[in-house]
Amino acid sequence: MKKIISFLNLIALLAILLLLYSPLAKIGLLPSLSSLLRGGTPKIEDTPVIIQQVKNIAQMFTQTFYDEYVYDTGVIRTPLFNANKRLIFIAKGEVISGFDLSELNEKSIIRRDKSIVVKLPPARILDVIINPSGFETFIEVGQITFEESKKFHEDARRIFDRNAREKGILKNSAEQGRQMLEKFFRLLGFESVDIIIPDSR
Amino acid sequence: MNADPQKKPRARKRLFILGAVILALLAVNVAVPRRQAQPLLSARTLKDLAELATIEYSVTKIVSYKDVAWYGDRKILFETAATVKAGIDLNELADQDIKLEGDSGVTVSLPQPKILLFNMKPEQMREIFNESGVLRSNFSNEEKDGLLSQGEIDIRAKVATMDILQRAARNARILIESWLKKMGFTAVRVVFKEKRGRR
Repeated sequence: MKKIISFLNLIALLAILLLLYSPLAKIGLLPSLSSLLRGGTPKIEDTPVIIQQVKNIAQMFTQTFYDEYVYDTGVIRTPLFNANKRLIFIAKGEVISGFDLSELNEKSIIRRDKSIVVKLPPARILDVIINPSGFETFIEVGQITFEESKKFHEDARRIFDRNAREKGILKNSAEQGRQMLEKFFRLLGFESVDIIIPDSR
Repeated sequence: MNADPQKKPRARKRLFILGAVILALLAVNVAVPRRQAQPLLSARTLKDLAELATIEYSVTKIVSYKDVAWYGDRKILFETAATVKAGIDLNELADQDIKLEGDSGVTVSLPQPKILLFNMKPEQMREIFNESGVLRSNFSNEEKDGLLSQGEIDIRAKVATMDILQRAARNARILIESWLKKMGFTAVRVVFKEKRGRR
Protein backbone atom coordinates (compact mmCIF):
# COMPACT_ATOMS: atom_id res chain seq x y z
CA MET A 1 0.00 0.00 0.00
CA LYS A 2 2.84 2.34 0.96
CA LYS A 3 4.56 1.69 -2.36
CA ILE A 4 1.39 2.44 -4.29
CA ILE A 5 0.92 5.73 -2.48
CA SER A 6 4.57 6.72 -3.12
CA PHE A 7 4.12 5.86 -6.79
CA LEU A 8 0.92 7.90 -6.97
CA ASN A 9 2.74 10.80 -5.29
CA LEU A 10 5.47 10.62 -7.94
CA ILE A 11 2.91 10.55 -10.76
CA ALA A 12 1.11 13.50 -9.19
CA LEU A 13 4.35 15.49 -8.94
CA LEU A 14 5.14 14.79 -12.61
CA ALA A 15 1.63 15.85 -13.59
CA ILE A 16 2.09 19.08 -11.61
CA LEU A 17 5.37 19.79 -13.39
CA LEU A 18 3.73 19.24 -16.78
CA LEU A 19 0.78 21.40 -15.87
CA LEU A 20 3.11 24.17 -14.71
CA TYR A 21 5.06 23.97 -17.99
CA SER A 22 2.06 23.88 -20.28
CA PRO A 23 0.59 27.39 -19.68
CA LEU A 24 4.07 28.92 -19.99
CA ALA A 25 4.51 27.13 -23.33
CA LYS A 26 1.06 28.27 -24.41
CA ILE A 27 1.88 31.93 -23.94
CA GLY A 28 5.22 31.43 -25.70
CA LEU A 29 7.60 31.80 -22.77
CA LEU A 30 8.85 28.21 -23.19
CA PRO A 31 9.05 25.95 -26.26
CA SER A 32 6.11 23.60 -26.73
CA LEU A 33 6.45 20.00 -25.54
CA SER A 34 5.91 18.65 -29.04
CA SER A 35 8.76 20.77 -30.40
CA LEU A 36 11.03 19.51 -27.59
CA LEU A 37 10.26 15.90 -28.51
CA ARG A 38 10.68 16.57 -32.23
CA GLY A 39 14.21 17.90 -31.68
CA GLY A 40 15.69 21.00 -33.30
CA THR A 41 14.69 22.53 -36.62
CA PRO A 42 16.00 20.43 -39.54
CA LYS A 43 19.08 22.02 -41.05
CA ILE A 44 19.80 21.81 -44.78
CA GLU A 45 23.29 20.94 -45.96
CA ASP A 46 25.70 23.69 -46.95
CA THR A 47 25.77 23.79 -50.75
CA PRO A 48 27.14 26.53 -53.02
CA VAL A 49 25.09 29.20 -54.78
CA ILE A 50 26.00 29.21 -58.45
CA ILE A 51 25.65 32.25 -60.71
CA GLN A 52 23.93 31.21 -63.93
CA GLN A 53 23.51 34.60 -65.57
CA VAL A 54 24.36 38.24 -64.98
CA LYS A 55 22.21 40.70 -66.91
CA ASN A 56 22.51 44.46 -67.13
CA ILE A 57 19.04 45.94 -66.73
CA ALA A 58 17.42 49.36 -66.48
CA GLN A 59 14.15 48.95 -64.63
CA MET A 60 12.47 51.69 -62.67
CA PHE A 61 10.27 50.35 -59.84
CA THR A 62 7.55 52.85 -59.06
CA GLN A 63 4.88 50.88 -57.24
CA THR A 64 4.59 47.87 -54.95
CA PHE A 65 1.50 46.00 -53.87
CA TYR A 66 1.66 43.91 -50.70
CA ASP A 67 -0.84 41.09 -50.53
CA GLU A 68 -1.82 38.24 -48.27
CA TYR A 69 -4.09 35.52 -49.59
CA VAL A 70 -5.61 32.36 -48.13
CA TYR A 71 -5.50 29.68 -50.79
CA ASP A 72 -7.80 26.67 -50.40
CA THR A 73 -7.49 23.83 -52.90
CA GLY A 74 -10.80 22.36 -51.71
CA VAL A 75 -11.14 18.60 -51.30
CA ILE A 76 -9.22 16.87 -54.08
CA ARG A 77 -10.91 13.54 -54.81
CA THR A 78 -8.47 10.71 -55.38
CA PRO A 79 -9.06 7.20 -56.81
CA LEU A 80 -10.72 4.56 -54.66
CA PHE A 81 -8.74 3.39 -51.58
CA ASN A 82 -6.67 6.60 -51.58
CA ALA A 83 -7.33 9.31 -49.04
CA ASN A 84 -8.72 12.59 -50.35
CA LYS A 85 -6.37 15.58 -50.26
CA ARG A 86 -6.70 19.18 -49.26
CA LEU A 87 -4.26 22.03 -48.78
CA ILE A 88 -4.93 25.44 -47.27
CA PHE A 89 -2.02 27.86 -47.15
CA ILE A 90 -1.45 31.55 -46.57
CA ALA A 91 0.62 33.29 -49.23
CA LYS A 92 2.35 36.60 -48.46
CA GLY A 93 4.22 38.57 -51.07
CA GLU A 94 4.35 41.59 -53.31
CA VAL A 95 3.88 42.72 -56.87
CA ILE A 96 6.34 45.26 -58.30
CA SER A 97 5.50 47.46 -61.23
CA GLY A 98 7.27 50.16 -63.15
CA PHE A 99 9.07 50.82 -66.41
CA ASP A 100 11.62 48.94 -68.44
CA LEU A 101 13.89 51.82 -69.38
CA SER A 102 16.00 49.65 -71.68
CA GLU A 103 13.18 50.22 -74.19
CA LEU A 104 14.14 53.93 -74.39
CA ASN A 105 15.97 54.98 -77.56
CA GLU A 106 17.39 58.13 -79.15
CA LYS A 107 13.93 59.31 -80.11
CA SER A 108 12.55 58.87 -76.57
CA ILE A 109 14.22 62.04 -75.22
CA ILE A 110 13.73 65.35 -77.05
CA ARG A 111 15.39 68.46 -75.65
CA ARG A 112 14.81 72.05 -76.76
CA ASP A 113 16.63 74.62 -74.61
CA LYS A 114 14.95 74.53 -71.20
CA SER A 115 12.19 72.14 -72.19
CA ILE A 116 12.28 68.37 -72.43
CA VAL A 117 9.91 65.68 -73.68
CA VAL A 118 10.40 62.07 -72.53
CA LYS A 119 8.44 59.21 -74.04
CA LEU A 120 8.33 56.28 -71.63
CA PRO A 121 7.16 52.75 -72.42
CA PRO A 122 3.87 51.76 -70.74
CA ALA A 123 4.03 50.86 -67.04
CA ARG A 124 3.93 47.13 -66.50
CA ILE A 125 4.18 44.49 -63.82
CA LEU A 126 7.85 43.64 -63.51
CA ASP A 127 7.83 40.99 -60.78
CA VAL A 128 5.41 38.96 -58.69
CA ILE A 129 7.22 37.75 -55.59
CA ILE A 130 6.11 35.05 -53.19
CA ASN A 131 9.25 33.42 -51.84
CA PRO A 132 9.22 30.08 -49.95
CA SER A 133 9.25 32.02 -46.65
CA GLY A 134 6.02 33.67 -47.80
CA PHE A 135 4.07 30.40 -47.78
CA GLU A 136 2.55 29.17 -44.55
CA THR A 137 0.73 25.84 -44.53
CA PHE A 138 -2.46 26.00 -42.51
CA ILE A 139 -4.15 22.66 -43.23
CA GLU A 140 -2.64 19.72 -45.06
CA VAL A 141 -4.66 16.55 -45.58
CA GLY A 142 -3.32 13.62 -47.59
CA GLN A 143 -0.07 13.45 -49.50
CA ILE A 144 0.35 16.58 -51.63
CA THR A 145 3.13 16.10 -54.16
CA PHE A 146 5.72 18.79 -54.85
CA GLU A 147 4.42 19.25 -58.40
CA GLU A 148 0.86 19.77 -57.09
CA SER A 149 2.06 22.24 -54.47
CA LYS A 150 4.07 24.11 -57.13
CA LYS A 151 0.94 24.42 -59.27
CA PHE A 152 -0.98 25.94 -56.34
CA HIS A 153 1.87 28.34 -55.58
CA GLU A 154 1.96 29.46 -59.23
CA ASP A 155 -1.79 29.96 -59.08
CA ALA A 156 -1.37 32.13 -55.96
CA ARG A 157 1.10 34.27 -57.91
CA ARG A 158 -1.47 34.73 -60.69
CA ILE A 159 -4.03 35.80 -58.07
CA PHE A 160 -1.57 38.37 -56.68
CA ASP A 161 -1.02 39.71 -60.21
CA ARG A 162 -4.78 39.99 -60.78
CA ASN A 163 -5.43 41.63 -57.39
CA ALA A 164 -2.68 44.19 -58.03
CA ARG A 165 -4.16 45.10 -61.42
CA GLU A 166 -7.63 45.39 -59.90
CA LYS A 167 -6.22 47.73 -57.23
CA GLY A 168 -4.91 49.98 -60.02
CA ILE A 169 -1.20 49.28 -59.70
CA LEU A 170 -0.44 50.21 -63.33
CA LYS A 171 -2.27 53.55 -63.17
CA ASN A 172 -0.54 54.45 -59.90
CA SER A 173 2.74 53.25 -61.28
CA ALA A 174 2.48 55.53 -64.31
CA GLU A 175 1.55 58.49 -62.13
CA GLN A 176 4.40 57.91 -59.68
CA GLY A 177 6.86 57.50 -62.58
CA ARG A 178 5.68 60.77 -64.10
CA GLN A 179 6.04 62.67 -60.80
CA MET A 180 9.43 61.16 -60.07
CA LEU A 181 10.92 61.99 -63.48
CA GLU A 182 9.36 65.44 -63.53
CA LYS A 183 11.05 66.25 -60.21
CA PHE A 184 14.35 64.85 -61.48
CA PHE A 185 14.29 66.87 -64.70
CA ARG A 186 13.31 70.07 -62.90
CA LEU A 187 16.31 69.57 -60.61
CA LEU A 188 18.40 69.36 -63.78
CA GLY A 189 17.25 72.85 -64.66
CA PHE A 190 14.44 72.15 -67.16
CA GLU A 191 11.56 74.58 -66.92
CA SER A 192 9.11 72.64 -69.04
CA VAL A 193 8.92 68.87 -68.60
CA ASP A 194 6.54 66.66 -70.56
CA ILE A 195 6.46 62.96 -69.71
CA ILE A 196 4.46 60.89 -72.19
CA ILE A 197 3.32 57.48 -70.94
CA PRO A 198 1.07 55.30 -73.10
CA ASP A 199 -1.78 53.49 -71.34
CA SER A 200 -0.93 50.05 -70.00
CA ARG A 201 -2.92 47.10 -71.26
CA MET B 1 4.97 -4.77 10.12
CA ASN B 2 4.70 -2.13 12.82
CA ALA B 3 4.55 0.83 10.50
CA ASP B 4 3.80 4.17 12.04
CA PRO B 5 -0.03 4.33 12.13
CA GLN B 6 0.16 8.13 11.72
CA LYS B 7 2.19 7.84 8.48
CA LYS B 8 -0.63 6.36 6.40
CA PRO B 9 -3.13 9.20 6.91
CA ARG B 10 -0.31 11.68 6.34
CA ALA B 11 0.58 10.06 3.01
CA ARG B 12 -3.07 10.05 2.00
CA LYS B 13 -3.36 13.69 3.02
CA ARG B 14 -0.36 14.55 0.85
CA LEU B 15 -1.90 12.69 -2.06
CA PHE B 16 -5.13 14.58 -1.54
CA ILE B 17 -3.30 17.93 -1.55
CA LEU B 18 -1.41 16.95 -4.72
CA GLY B 19 -4.71 16.00 -6.37
CA ALA B 20 -6.13 19.40 -5.45
CA VAL B 21 -3.05 21.16 -6.88
CA ILE B 22 -3.43 19.17 -10.14
CA LEU B 23 -7.07 20.19 -10.43
CA ALA B 24 -6.18 23.84 -9.81
CA LEU B 25 -3.42 23.71 -12.45
CA LEU B 26 -5.76 22.02 -14.93
CA ALA B 27 -8.16 24.91 -14.45
CA VAL B 28 -5.30 27.40 -15.10
CA ASN B 29 -4.33 25.47 -18.25
CA VAL B 30 -7.83 25.64 -19.62
CA ALA B 31 -8.10 29.33 -18.78
CA VAL B 32 -4.77 30.40 -20.39
CA PRO B 33 -5.43 31.13 -24.08
CA ARG B 34 -2.99 29.93 -26.73
CA ARG B 35 -0.80 32.74 -28.10
CA GLN B 36 -2.18 34.05 -31.36
CA ALA B 37 -0.02 35.31 -34.20
CA GLN B 38 -0.35 39.04 -34.80
CA PRO B 39 -2.22 39.74 -38.05
CA LEU B 40 -0.27 41.61 -40.71
CA LEU B 41 -1.48 45.17 -40.98
CA SER B 42 0.27 45.87 -44.25
CA ALA B 43 -1.78 43.40 -46.30
CA ARG B 44 -3.39 44.61 -49.55
CA THR B 45 -1.70 47.97 -49.84
CA LEU B 46 -0.18 49.92 -52.68
CA LYS B 47 2.99 51.87 -51.94
CA ASP B 48 5.06 54.27 -54.02
CA LEU B 49 8.60 53.27 -54.93
CA ALA B 50 11.40 55.12 -56.64
CA GLU B 51 14.06 52.53 -57.35
CA LEU B 52 16.32 51.99 -60.30
CA ALA B 53 17.44 48.38 -60.78
CA THR B 54 20.59 48.10 -62.85
CA ILE B 55 21.73 44.49 -62.46
CA GLU B 56 20.03 41.11 -62.33
CA TYR B 57 21.70 37.92 -61.07
CA SER B 58 20.16 34.53 -61.80
CA VAL B 59 21.49 31.95 -59.36
CA THR B 60 20.82 28.29 -58.56
CA LYS B 61 21.28 26.19 -55.46
CA ILE B 62 20.76 22.56 -54.53
CA VAL B 63 18.81 22.29 -51.29
CA SER B 64 19.43 18.93 -49.65
CA TYR B 65 18.39 17.47 -46.32
CA LYS B 66 19.13 14.11 -44.71
CA ASP B 67 17.32 12.94 -41.60
CA VAL B 68 19.22 9.85 -40.52
CA ALA B 69 17.82 7.67 -37.71
CA TRP B 70 18.30 4.05 -36.60
CA TYR B 71 14.70 3.24 -37.55
CA GLY B 72 15.03 4.61 -41.09
CA ASP B 73 16.20 7.63 -43.08
CA ARG B 74 14.45 10.45 -44.86
CA LYS B 75 16.23 12.24 -47.67
CA ILE B 76 15.16 15.03 -49.99
CA LEU B 77 16.85 17.06 -52.71
CA PHE B 78 15.61 20.16 -54.54
CA GLU B 79 17.00 22.23 -57.36
CA THR B 80 16.13 25.88 -56.73
CA ALA B 81 16.70 29.12 -58.59
CA ALA B 82 16.43 32.76 -57.66
CA THR B 83 16.55 36.14 -59.34
CA VAL B 84 18.18 39.00 -57.47
CA LYS B 85 18.01 42.60 -58.66
CA ALA B 86 20.14 45.40 -57.26
CA GLY B 87 20.29 49.10 -57.89
CA ILE B 88 19.74 52.44 -56.24
CA ASP B 89 16.90 53.88 -54.20
CA LEU B 90 16.10 57.23 -55.77
CA ASN B 91 14.10 58.22 -52.69
CA GLU B 92 17.46 58.79 -51.05
CA LEU B 93 18.36 61.31 -53.76
CA ALA B 94 18.06 64.81 -52.25
CA ASP B 95 17.81 68.14 -54.09
CA GLN B 96 21.40 69.04 -53.18
CA ASP B 97 22.65 65.79 -54.78
CA ILE B 98 22.21 67.33 -58.26
CA LYS B 99 24.57 70.22 -58.92
CA LEU B 100 24.41 72.14 -62.17
CA GLU B 101 27.61 73.69 -63.52
CA GLY B 102 26.61 76.14 -66.20
CA ASP B 103 24.30 75.05 -69.00
CA SER B 104 26.09 71.86 -69.95
CA GLY B 105 27.73 70.53 -66.81
CA VAL B 106 26.19 68.47 -64.03
CA THR B 107 27.33 66.41 -61.02
CA VAL B 108 24.96 63.79 -59.59
CA SER B 109 25.65 62.15 -56.21
CA LEU B 110 23.87 58.81 -56.13
CA PRO B 111 23.05 56.80 -53.00
CA GLN B 112 24.96 53.56 -52.40
CA PRO B 113 23.44 50.60 -54.31
CA LYS B 114 21.54 47.88 -52.52
CA ILE B 115 19.66 44.67 -53.21
CA LEU B 116 16.17 45.72 -54.24
CA LEU B 117 14.43 42.48 -55.05
CA PHE B 118 14.75 38.76 -54.37
CA ASN B 119 12.50 36.34 -56.21
CA MET B 120 12.38 32.53 -55.99
CA LYS B 121 9.80 31.48 -58.55
CA PRO B 122 8.04 28.16 -57.90
CA GLU B 123 8.19 27.22 -61.59
CA GLN B 124 12.00 27.25 -61.37
CA MET B 125 12.10 24.74 -58.50
CA ARG B 126 12.33 20.99 -58.94
CA GLU B 127 12.17 18.09 -56.52
CA ILE B 128 14.95 15.79 -57.67
CA PHE B 129 14.90 13.12 -54.97
CA ASN B 130 12.53 12.24 -52.13
CA GLU B 131 12.74 9.03 -50.13
CA SER B 132 11.52 8.00 -46.69
CA GLY B 133 12.12 4.74 -44.82
CA VAL B 134 9.22 2.36 -44.15
CA LEU B 135 8.94 3.47 -40.55
CA ARG B 136 9.30 7.16 -41.37
CA SER B 137 6.63 9.61 -42.46
CA ASN B 138 6.86 11.28 -45.85
CA PHE B 139 7.96 14.90 -46.06
CA SER B 140 4.92 17.12 -45.63
CA ASN B 141 4.29 20.23 -47.69
CA GLU B 142 5.02 22.32 -44.60
CA GLU B 143 8.39 20.62 -44.08
CA LYS B 144 9.32 21.13 -47.73
CA ASP B 145 8.43 24.84 -47.48
CA GLY B 146 10.56 25.04 -44.33
CA LEU B 147 13.58 23.51 -46.08
CA LEU B 148 13.15 25.76 -49.12
CA SER B 149 12.91 28.78 -46.80
CA GLN B 150 16.29 27.81 -45.37
CA GLY B 151 17.59 27.63 -48.95
CA GLU B 152 16.19 31.12 -49.51
CA ILE B 153 18.01 32.49 -46.44
CA ASP B 154 21.24 30.88 -47.62
CA ILE B 155 20.95 32.29 -51.16
CA ARG B 156 20.23 35.78 -49.78
CA ALA B 157 23.31 35.59 -47.54
CA LYS B 158 25.62 34.25 -50.25
CA VAL B 159 24.46 36.67 -52.97
CA ALA B 160 25.11 39.58 -50.60
CA THR B 161 28.78 38.56 -50.49
CA MET B 162 29.08 38.47 -54.30
CA ASP B 163 30.02 41.48 -56.43
CA ILE B 164 26.40 42.35 -57.21
CA LEU B 165 26.52 45.78 -55.52
CA GLN B 166 29.73 46.83 -57.28
CA ARG B 167 28.22 45.87 -60.62
CA ALA B 168 24.97 47.66 -59.75
CA ALA B 169 26.93 50.83 -58.97
CA ARG B 170 28.93 50.61 -62.19
CA ASN B 171 25.80 50.12 -64.29
CA ALA B 172 23.93 52.92 -62.51
CA ARG B 173 26.80 55.29 -63.28
CA ILE B 174 26.89 54.26 -66.98
CA LEU B 175 23.09 54.53 -67.27
CA ILE B 176 22.75 57.97 -65.64
CA GLU B 177 25.73 59.32 -67.59
CA SER B 178 24.28 58.15 -70.91
CA TRP B 179 20.83 59.63 -70.14
CA LEU B 180 22.32 62.96 -69.11
CA LYS B 181 24.40 63.04 -72.29
CA LYS B 182 21.28 62.29 -74.35
CA MET B 183 19.68 65.30 -72.65
CA GLY B 184 22.45 67.51 -73.92
CA PHE B 185 24.85 67.71 -70.96
CA THR B 186 28.43 67.47 -72.10
CA ALA B 187 30.31 67.50 -68.78
CA VAL B 188 28.70 64.79 -66.69
CA ARG B 189 30.02 63.50 -63.35
CA VAL B 190 28.29 60.73 -61.44
CA VAL B 191 29.61 59.97 -57.95
CA PHE B 192 28.36 57.86 -55.06
CA LYS B 193 27.62 59.18 -51.61
CA GLU B 194 29.76 57.94 -48.71
CA LYS B 195 28.62 54.69 -47.11
CA ARG B 196 26.66 55.28 -43.95
CA GLY B 197 26.73 52.98 -40.92
CA ARG B 198 24.68 49.79 -40.88
CA ARG B 199 21.00 50.42 -40.46
